[in-house]
Order: sequence, then structure tokens, then C-alpha cells
Amino acid sequence: MLTVLFSGRLPAQGLDPATIANPPADSWPTYHGDYSGKRHSGLTQITPQNVSGLTLAWAFQTGQEATLKSSPLMVNGILYFTVPDNVWAMDARSGRQIWRYTYPPNKGLHIGHRGVAIYKEWLYFITPDAHLICLNAKNGKVRWNVQIADVEKGYWSTMSPLVVRDHVIVGVSGDMDNLPGFLRSIDPETGKTQWQWDSTPPLGTPNAPSGGMTWMTGTYDPGLNLIFWGTGNPTPVLTGKTRPGDNLYTCSIVALNADTGKLAWAFQPSPHDTHDWDAVETPVLVDADFGGEPRKMLMQTSRNGYFFVLDRTSGKNLLTMPYGPVNWALGVDKEGRPIPNPEKEPAPDGRLIAPDEAGLTNYRSPSFDPKTGLFIVAAHPSWSIYFAKPADGTYGWAGADYSVWGKGVIEAIDYQTGKIRWSHEVGGEARAGVLTTDSGLTFTGDNTGNVLALDSGNGKTLWHAGTSVRMESSPITYELDGRQYVVTGSGGVVFAWALPGTGQ
Amino acid sequence: MKALVTGAVLTVLPFLAAQSRTSRPAAQSVPPALVERGKTLFGQNCAFCHGREGFGGESGPNLMDSDLVTSDVGGSKIGPVVRNGRPDNGMPAFTLSAPQIVELAAFLHAQKKKSESRPGGRRGVSVSDLQTGNVDAGRQYFNGAGTCSSCHSPTGDLAGVARRYRGLELEKRMLYPPKATATVTVTLPSGQTVSGTLSYQDEFTIGMTDAAGWYQSWPTTQIKYTINAPAEAHVELLGKYTDDDVHNLMAYLQTLR
Repeated sequence: MLTVLFSGRLPAQGLDPATIANPPADSWPTYHGDYSGKRHSGLTQITPQNVSGLTLAWAFQTGQEATLKSSPLMVNGILYFTVPDNVWAMDARSGRQIWRYTYPPNKGLHIGHRGVAIYKEWLYFITPDAHLICLNAKNGKVRWNVQIADVEKGYWSTMSPLVVRDHVIVGVSGDMDNLPGFLRSIDPETGKTQWQWDSTPPLGTPNAPSGGMTWMTGTYDPGLNLIFWGTGNPTPVLTGKTRPGDNLYTCSIVALNADTGKLAWAFQPSPHDTHDWDAVETPVLVDADFGGEPRKMLMQTSRNGYFFVLDRTSGKNLLTMPYGPVNWALGVDKEGRPIPNPEKEPAPDGRLIAPDEAGLTNYRSPSFDPKTGLFIVAAHPSWSIYFAKPADGTYGWAGADYSVWGKGVIEAIDYQTGKIRWSHEVGGEARAGVLTTDSGLTFTGDNTGNVLALDSGNGKTLWHAGTSVRMESSPITYELDGRQYVVTGSGGVVFAWALPGTGQ
Repeated sequence: MKALVTGAVLTVLPFLAAQSRTSRPAAQSVPPALVERGKTLFGQNCAFCHGREGFGGESGPNLMDSDLVTSDVGGSKIGPVVRNGRPDNGMPAFTLSAPQIVELAAFLHAQKKKSESRPGGRRGVSVSDLQTGNVDAGRQYFNGAGTCSSCHSPTGDLAGVARRYRGLELEKRMLYPPKATATVTVTLPSGQTVSGTLSYQDEFTIGMTDAAGWYQSWPTTQIKYTINAPAEAHVELLGKYTDDDVHNLMAYLQTLR
């Protein structure tokens, strides 16, 4: 009878991967919260009317210098989150640590970490030196450790794996060297490779690029059994002379069969990129009308400054529109791809380019709000100068670029037209991701460390709290014991926000 | 901070002293293991922005032609920058121990030596790269379409600008001067006005440094304020320049010596 009094809660049993497709309100079981990448929640306890009373439920100090860039997972009342080399399991009610795992010192680049994935009772954690570690979710003990790529060659990794049934899908980073990018599916029980998809032809192929790193988490459509993944820039980065042509499949959105890794279709936001504009930004899956017809769509605000809407069953382009200043394209081709202007390739005396190399957006998550039909993104209108000369060579970076000016703006894009419905300035940079909820709220942050709740309909600020350090992660939300929490991270501190007097 | 860095230099002195008996120039006597540890630290913390070999990368400048690195001895200059960061330029602070700073500096010095002796490879942007413009066309743009002369004068604020800045630094400042001063005038509910240098701004708070040097701030909901930031006019121009305009303007500014 006691179990009934405790709201019928079952003993914690890890996570059945089937629940990721339709996550319950008391969970956030994968990087994006679900397979669609919408970062939108059906929770409605916190509303535009009561959000002014939002307050701190608890804060957790990692004590680490590393900036939080991860999205926590929330499963069975436990939050799992990371910074490079570190995983914490934390009581989602109290903010207390349950266990912490620390990976030994290693040579990988410690630039950031997006978080872990969960399958049954196992967590999957990628290390800076591109190993995949399987941890016991109960206690953080290592079950196995497999190498994904060789750190000595110049690979590293920061990403949060995607679990699809019995596949753990992992990607890699590394564009300081001319290295091939790939996506790999790994058996969650054994660590064995199930399939691998290569972004580029084998190294040494004449006139072919290397690169196409797969450094952000993709999305999945269970009905089509396709995973959707963005690939990074080609290498050498700022010079294209050794790699003529489009450089497939770099700077691309690819649709792969989840069980075989076989390519179903590809769309390339940046053909022949020479500005480091990865197309890895979240491929957001939306089912809605487009031009009066119901469509299965994929939307991306790409780093190169364009917003794309595709039919995700075929990869056919429905809309291509810039969402800020862009000056590097001659127009859009009949397939919906921007046509790069050869005059805007980096040059010995410099080229003035918008956006800058960090892009009009980057890894921070956008959100799609189905109620308003708005695609809300933290944008970075910006200008820079790009240089490349023969003395820079054709290996790795192979040039130089310098940002001149930029600002941060939260933009709400009407997906049917690409028009910006409202915008909200957030200072000199935009680093925080975006979360929307069914009650009509947009959670994000500004450049000076304020966490913001905006009205999704018009972008007006309804609530804020200063944390002194700007958010560089994307907010999540879940309900626990009848109380809705919004969890953000700034600097090395995790903050949980809730309404006072709820859940008691 | 200074004391810590000094301590760091001291800890490495025994190495240097021991080595210098056999090989004369102190800079070459840094143990390879020290450089190797510095390389690992650089790879973990710095390489993303400055490139794995320090030649610059995403957002971070080339350290191989940095005056700071050139003038550094055993971390004396590098240490404070690494530990404090350069928040205005987007560089975070790193908590590295004193011995780690020495290792990092040893790597950068070894790397610089290596780069100077190696032909090819990334050379960054040199002053000679930025000489493709036309002086007359630049002058014309300055006084005409560029509208530069509505705020600037070659005999006033820009007199001698090419002596103060050169090359890439001059070009970047020309396109947008970072940290330009803005002023703010706040009107209080009483009708009283206070003016000063804008020190802080978000959508909730306005902060200024007043004439007496005090920081003061107000909630934006309770006052009215006007910001005067003349340098922001540069942002408007960014969308109007052709690359030729930029190069021509550079050619003209470089004559203002």
C-alpha cells in the first residue's frame, strides 16, 4: 500500500529505448529531449501569467572551470550531465550528487561537452580523446571503453550520442588536420561497430575533400526509420583549391537508414564551403502544413546564415531564406542550395564576409513551437574578414579569419515564409540555446548572464534572473512530483527553476 | 598572481641551471619533456582557438607572431593572460598551476623557434598583404560614399593614425573600433539628469561611470536614458562596403602618418 501512497512509482529500471520516441513528462531522455529536435515541451504549469514568480529550486556547483555546454538527461528522478572528462548523476529533487565519474587526463581537445545518452541501465559518454565509455547508470562504474577515432591523428569529440533502439550513434570532431569524418553505430551491449558511414571519399582521392565531421547529435524519424545528421566543413578549411566542386558530403544534411547507415538522401546547405560553416545545427523534425499541404519536414537554421525547410521523406527543398546578414552567395540554385560567390573565398588581401566564422548560429539548440509555428533561434548577425594565401598551405586551417563585429538576437522565424516575426536582442553574442513550452514560454539567456523567459508570441521578456555568467548550453524542462522544473547551466553551475509552492 | 608566476620561474631554474652547463643558450636547454607536457596542455585547452601549433585557428590569433609571446620569459607574460583571460576579446581564464604555465610557455617558445626555421606554413596576415588598394579611390570614398568625413578628419582625430596602428590591426579598427567609448544620459523620475560613460547595459540595468569616477546604476524600468555611441555608425557601413572599398580605404588610411 505504501507504494500507492508514493504515487505508484515503480522501482527505477533504467530506460527502455522505445520511450525516447514518446518521452513522459517526467523525463528528458536524450540530448534534444526527444527524437524530433524541437526542444519543445508539453508542460504548462509555468505560464506567461505566473512565470514572474519563478524562483530557484536548487543550484549545483560542479567546482569545475569548464563551462557547462551539455544538456542533462533526466531519467527516473536522476539528472545526468557532463563537462569534458566528467559525468555527474544527481538527485533531480534536491540537486545533490549521487555519483561522479572522472576520465583520466588525456590529450583530446577539451573545448566542450554536450552530454550522455542512456540505454536501459547504461550511460554512453564520449571523451575528449574520442573514446566511447559505457558506464553503469547506477554507480558510474565503467563497463567498457572503445576507441572511436585516434586522438594522435587529430580527432577529438564533444558530442552526446543518439540511441535508436539497439544502436548508439556517435560522431567525431577534428578540422585542424585533413581527416575524414564519419558517423558510426555501436552495439550498446558489446561496444562493437554495427555500421559506419563516411562523409568524404577515402583520404588521398584526387581533388576530394576531407572533413565533414559529425560533431552534433542528430534526430530520428521512427516512421521512416531514418536518422538525420548534419556534417561539418571540408578540410583544408579556408582554401578550396585542392578540393574543387561541391565537396560532398561536407556541410550537408544526410538521411541514413538507422539499421544499415545507408544513405537515403542528402541536401547540402554550403556547397564548396571555405568559411568553416558546419551544417551540424539541429535538423529539427516537424509535421505540419506547408503551402496548404501536410508535410513531414526537416528544418535547420544553418551556421552559414540560411534557414532551410526540406521534405524529410525525399530531401527536396521547400524553402531557403537568410535569417540575418549574408553576403557570400550569388543566389539560390534550383535545388534550394546557396551558390557560393568565388569572389568571397578567403583571399591574400582579405574578404569582408557575413556572417563570421562562428556563424549566424552554432551548436546551441533552436526550438520549434508548434502552437505559433515559430522556429526560434539564438542568432548572431556578424561580420568578419577572411584571408588565405599560398604560404598558408593546404593542410588544416590553411588561412586566417578575424571577427569584426557581431551581436546576439533571439529570432522567431515563420517556417512557411522564412520571415522574422519577432526578434529580441541579447547583447554582443548569442550563446544560449532555446526551449519552448506549450504554455507559450520561450526560455533562453542573454550575453551578460541573465536567464530569460520570453512570451513566445511576441518575444517580450516576462521573467529574468541574473547568474553573472552567460549561458552556453540549452535549457531543458521536466515535471517531478507535480512540479515543473526548468534546468539551465551557466559557467560551472546548474540551476533548477520552479514556481514556489508547487509539488508540495 | 605575480608572485605565483615568479615561483613558477624559480621551479624551472634548477633544470636550466643543470642543462646550461652542457649547452649554452638557455632557451635551447629546456627539457623536451617540459615542451611535450606543454604541448599536451596546449592541445587540451588552447588549440581550438589558436590552432594546434599556435598559428591561430577558430577565433584566436596567431601566437607565433605575438609580441606577448616574444617578450615572455618562462611564462612571465603568458601566465597572467592565461590565468585572467581576456574577457573583452572572448578569451576565458584558465586555472593552470604554476608549473603548467611554465610548460605551456616552454611549448610556445619551442614552437616559435620551429616555425621561424620552417619555410611555408601559415604566416598570418602581414602588412604587405594589405597593400592592394588605391589611395585616391580611398580618399574619394572617405569623403564621399563612405561618409567617413562626417565624423573623422585626416588632420584631426585620424592624424598620424597609421603610426599608431598598422596592418591587420589598423584594418580591423577601421571596420569597427572595439571598446569605443559610449556615453549615456539618464533622466531620473525627478527630472534630474546624470551623464557619464556607459559601463554596463542589459535590458534590465544601465550602469555608468559618472564625472567623479563613481559607478552608478539604475533599473531601466524606472528611468529614461539616451545612449550616444558614435562608433556604432561603423556597423551600418559593414553591409555597404565592397572589398575594393575596404582595400582602398586601407590604402588611404596608411598615408595618414
